[in-house]
Amino acid sequence: MYNWRKLIDKLFTYMVIAVSIVAISPVIHLIITVLLNGTMVIVKTGINFFISLPPTPFSKDFGGIAPAIVGSLLMTFISLPITIVLGLFAAILTTEFPKNTISIVIDTIAKSLASIPTIAVSMIVYTIIVVPMRSFSALAGSIALTIVSLPYAYTYFSTTLRSVPFIYREAAFSIAMSRWSTVLKILIPVVRRGIVTAILMTLVRILGETAALLFTAGRFRNGVTISPLAPADAIPLLIFDFVLSPYEIWRQVAWGASALLLLSYMVIFFTVKFLVKEVKL
Amino acid sequence: MNLLAVEMKNVNVYIGNRHILKDVTLKIPSNTVFVIMGPSGSGKTTLLRVINRLIDLIEDARVEGYVKVLGFDIMKSDPYELRKYIGMVFQIPNPFPHLTIYENIAIAAKINGVAKDKKELDNIVRWALEKAMLWDEVRNRLHDYPHQLSGGQRQRLCLARALAMKPKLLLLDEPTANIDPVNARKLEEAIVSLKDEVTVIMVTHSPYQAARVADYVAVLYDGKVVEQGPAQQLFLRPSTEITQKLLRGEM
Repeated sequence: MYNWRKLIDKLFTYMVIAVSIVAISPVIHLIITVLLNGTMVIVKTGINFFISLPPTPFSKDFGGIAPAIVGSLLMTFISLPITIVLGLFAAILTTEFPKNTISIVIDTIAKSLASIPTIAVSMIVYTIIVVPMRSFSALAGSIALTIVSLPYAYTYFSTTLRSVPFIYREAAFSIAMSRWSTVLKILIPVVRRGIVTAILMTLVRILGETAALLFTAGRFRNGVTISPLAPADAIPLLIFDFVLSPYEIWRQVAWGASALLLLSYMVIFFTVKFLVKEVKL
Repeated sequence: MNLLAVEMKNVNVYIGNRHILKDVTLKIPSNTVFVIMGPSGSGKTTLLRVINRLIDLIEDARVEGYVKVLGFDIMKSDPYELRKYIGMVFQIPNPFPHLTIYENIAIAAKINGVAKDKKELDNIVRWALEKAMLWDEVRNRLHDYPHQLSGGQRQRLCLARALAMKPKLLLLDEPTANIDPVNARKLEEAIVSLKDEVTVIMVTHSPYQAARVADYVAVLYDGKVVEQGPAQQLFLRPSTEITQKLLRGEM
């Protein structure tokens, strides 16, 4: 009897391990392929990869992706703070006053916004921003990025805030804390790690978003500009264009750009996970 | 001088369409230990939450009737102002996990403006910990976090946090339900020693605990107060069958 139980236990343990390996192997494969192909390009190019313009199709050198890096940073710089502030504020509102009409409206809008294809968002922003301004711009790109990432930021934040056990909320109220200081001094600090993770997830979404930028940012690759009103490039846009091109050298640069994106995710994630300690309940 | 800490007249509480408290009328004298007994689900916890209006946190709760706490008509006063005078300890120890032992107590003192400077704050923290009979155990580890304490110590930390507000009224919701007998005993001692300074309203399951600490007892059954009076009288000559059963541990 006892051995039979042991056998079944072993059997299931190995099955779970096997299934996990199957599930995770495509991801591992992806990471390894991108890193292998991409880091080669970055290493060969060296510092030029970060400060040069992209190569012409028949150039001998890889060149760099400076316009895309600067464009991505610029648009992230504009859109991330707005997304985080709005998303967090909305999440606080809907977790604190779930039955309030405004909360219900926000929650519904956020859920429906998340289901709009990002390319449609791009078209909408094209119509209402790009056309009247008569130019693609980093600003239009940032607006599209904000619209696309806001529902996700909202969902991450509200899931995190809702995970705070009710007993801490009660404790805060019982010592006469106001609702706002309860949120700011108790609820958010208790789940600070979740909040930071939510910010990172939003950042990753913004950095990796492609379709929202197709008709908004403008893919300007012939120089570097930091004006929000000028057309700009972004790393995912460059990857998208270069991968589909017939030129081998552009496809190589696209590998490099992908690796750069992946590496920056990893660096950001591990640093923050390491720095922000989890609160032990 | 107001001799009644809490006065309730015909209080009815509904949560959704459940009728939780039915026509509760209670008089709780100042500077006593007032124990509320009753079986699970009789509305004891709800009754406590009416007093400091923590019941406001429950979305679909509705309170009817007249409740006067420390001279405030609570339905008409600002709950945040009201709560400054009322400390509470809950069933499950809930010190703030991201704050140290010191900060847990200091935050309560600061919110209520009890302390003016760092030195005064230090004194209040020490005073509260001593009152909660925790000082000797944590005096050298004030900057540890609550998860490093035992369950019983955490609960006494919660008591210290409540006391740091210098409340006039202390609500205890089965504070010893989740801790061991030794810690429970310490908590009881702390409670009894407090009644010179505060009025204590305690909910408990245990008739033995009630007998050890209570000056007055009210028995709650199915949302109604079936009996209330001085503890001795109630324990020696319980007038209802419900109280008798409760005291025999049959309910």
